[in-house]
Amino acid sequence: MSRRWLIDNQGLFFMAPAMILFVVFVLYPIFYIFNASMYDWDGINEAVYVGVQNYIEMFTDDRVFAVSIRNSVYWTFLTIFPQMFLGFILAYILTSGVPLQNVFRIIFFMPAIVSPVVLGIVWQRIYAPFGGLLADLGREIGAMFLIQPYIADPKIAIFSTIFVNVWQWTGFSMLMYVAGLQGLSQEVLSAAEVDGAGARQRIQHIILPMLRHVHLTLVLLGVIGTLQTFALVFMLTKGGPNHATEMLPTYIFQKAFTLQSMGYASAVAVVLLVIALSASIFQVRFLGARFTIGG
Amino acid sequence: MRRRAAKTVAFIFVSILALIWLVPIIMMLVVSFMPPDQRAPRFGGLLISGVSLRNYETIFADTEVIRHFINSAAVTIPSVALVVLISSLAAFALARLKFLARDIWFYLLIMTLMLPIPTLVVPIFQINKALGLNDNYLGLILPYTALGVPFAIVILRSFFAGFPIEIEEAARLDGCTRFGIYWRIMMPVSWPAVAVVIIWQFMTSWNEFILALVTMNSVDVKPLTLVPLVYSGQFMMRPGPMFAILTLITLPVILVYYLMQRFMVSGLTAGAVRG
Repeated sequence: MSRRWLIDNQGLFFMAPAMILFVVFVLYPIFYIFNASMYDWDGINEAVYVGVQNYIEMFTDDRVFAVSIRNSVYWTFLTIFPQMFLGFILAYILTSGVPLQNVFRIIFFMPAIVSPVVLGIVWQRIYAPFGGLLADLGREIGAMFLIQPYIADPKIAIFSTIFVNVWQWTGFSMLMYVAGLQGLSQEVLSAAEVDGAGARQRIQHIILPMLRHVHLTLVLLGVIGTLQTFALVFMLTKGGPNHATEMLPTYIFQKAFTLQSMGYASAVAVVLLVIALSASIFQVRFLGARFTIGG
Repeated sequence: MRRRAAKTVAFIFVSILALIWLVPIIMMLVVSFMPPDQRAPRFGGLLISGVSLRNYETIFADTEVIRHFINSAAVTIPSVALVVLISSLAAFALARLKFLARDIWFYLLIMTLMLPIPTLVVPIFQINKALGLNDNYLGLILPYTALGVPFAIVILRSFFAGFPIEIEEAARLDGCTRFGIYWRIMMPVSWPAVAVVIIWQFMTSWNEFILALVTMNSVDVKPLTLVPLVYSGQFMMRPGPMFAILTLITLPVILVYYLMQRFMVSGLTAGAVRG
C-alpha cells in the first residue's frame, strides 16, 4: 500500500468506525443465525447438527409459526394503508393554513415517540373489560358494543393490537406527507387552480401522483416496521391468548429465551430475515422506494 | 366563502380527532396523579377523585427509579454522540470522497435498515456474552450505535451531497484538509440534519426494548423501558405508581422532541431540494 494509494483512498479512514460496527453487529450476526439454524442447541450445552430439520419442522408442523405469518400479513395491510390514508388527510389539512397547525402536528406525532412498552400498559387499561375506558364508556352511554373482550378473545385480539399500532404511527405518516407536500411545486398547483381544477381533482390528479416517492417510502418503512414488531405485542398481550397475537419477533424471543431453543429461534430469524430482505429489496429495486423522502 | 367554510370544517375535524388522539397520553398522566385511596379508577382512569403527588413519592421512595433513569441516560447519550460522530464521518466520505468499493459499502450499510432487529437478538446476545458485555452499558451502546448509524448516514449523506462544490474547492485551495472540510465547514452548517439524527437516535435508544431485555439481566443496570416489568408484580393492583413510572419514561423523549421538532420537517425534506 503506497502513500499515494492511502491518500487517494482516505475515505476509508472516515468509513472505518462505521464499517467495523457493521461487520461486528450486523454482518457477523447474519452469518451466525444461518449457521445456528442448522443446530439443535439450548445455548449452553453442546449443539447437535440437524441440517435443515428446524426448517422442515417450522413449515410442516408448527402452528404458532403459521399464526405468526398470518398475523404479519394482517398487520402489514391493516396498518400501512389506514395510516397512509389518515396521515395524508391530516397532512393536507395541516398544510392548508388552519389555526394551530403546528400544535396539531405535534399532537398527532406524539404517540410515535412514546415507548411501545408504555403504550402497551396504557392500552391494557383502555381495553380492560372491568374499569377499562371503553367498557366504562359503553356502560355509561348505553353503547353495549363497546364492551368487548378486546385482547382476551383470540379472534379479535390481533386486530385490537393492530389498532394501537395504527394510532401510534399515523402521525409519522402525516409528518412524511407534510414534508412531501411542502416540497411540491407551488407553480404547478396554482396553475391547476387557475385552470379550474377543484380541490378533489387537484388531490387526485396532481398531488397524490406527485407524492409517489412518499407513498413508496411509507410502504417500505411500514413493511419493515411490521416485521420487527415486538415491544407492543409483548407488553399488551404477550403474544396471547393462546398465541393468537404472536408475531415472528415475539416467537423468536420465546423460542430463544423462554424455551431455550437457540437453534430453532435462529431458523425462525433466518426466515424473518429472508422475508424482510426480499420484500425491501424488491421495493427498492423495482418500485424505486427510498428510506427518506429526500435523498 | 366556500373556502372559509371548508377551512372551518377542517379545523373542527382535526380538533376533535386531536382530542381523541391524546386520550391515552392524558390517561397516563391522570392516573399517575390519582390519589392512593382511590381503589378503582373509572373510565380507565380518566376520572379521578383528586390530584395527588403520592404516586411519585412512592416510586422515588420504594423503587430504584432514579438509578434506572441514569441507566437509560448512560446508554442513550453515548450512543447518540457516537452515532452523530461515526455517521457524519462516513456520510462525508460517501458524499464527497472517492475510495475503494464506495458504493458497495453504501449498499451494505443500507441493507441494515431492512433488517428487523429481532433477527439479530440471538447473535448479539452471544457476542455480548463472549465479550463479557452482558449487564454492561457497552453491551447496548455498541449495538444501538451500529444499528443507528445507517439511517443517520442516509440523512446526512444527502445533506452533505447538496453542499456547493465551489466552497469546498476554495477551502482546498486555501490548504484545508479533507478532515478540515468535514469538521470546520460542513458540520457547522448541517445542524438541521444533525438534529433529525439526534432526535431519531435518542428516541430509538431510549425506547429500545428487545435488546435491553436480553442484555440486561441484573436489576442494577436495567434501563427505564424494562422497569414496568421489574415492578409489575409490586404494582399489579396499584395503577397509580405504575403510571407515574410510565410518565417518567415518556417525559425525556417528549422534551427532546419538543426542543428539536422544528428541525424535523426541514431535516426530512433537506435532501429533497436537490430532487
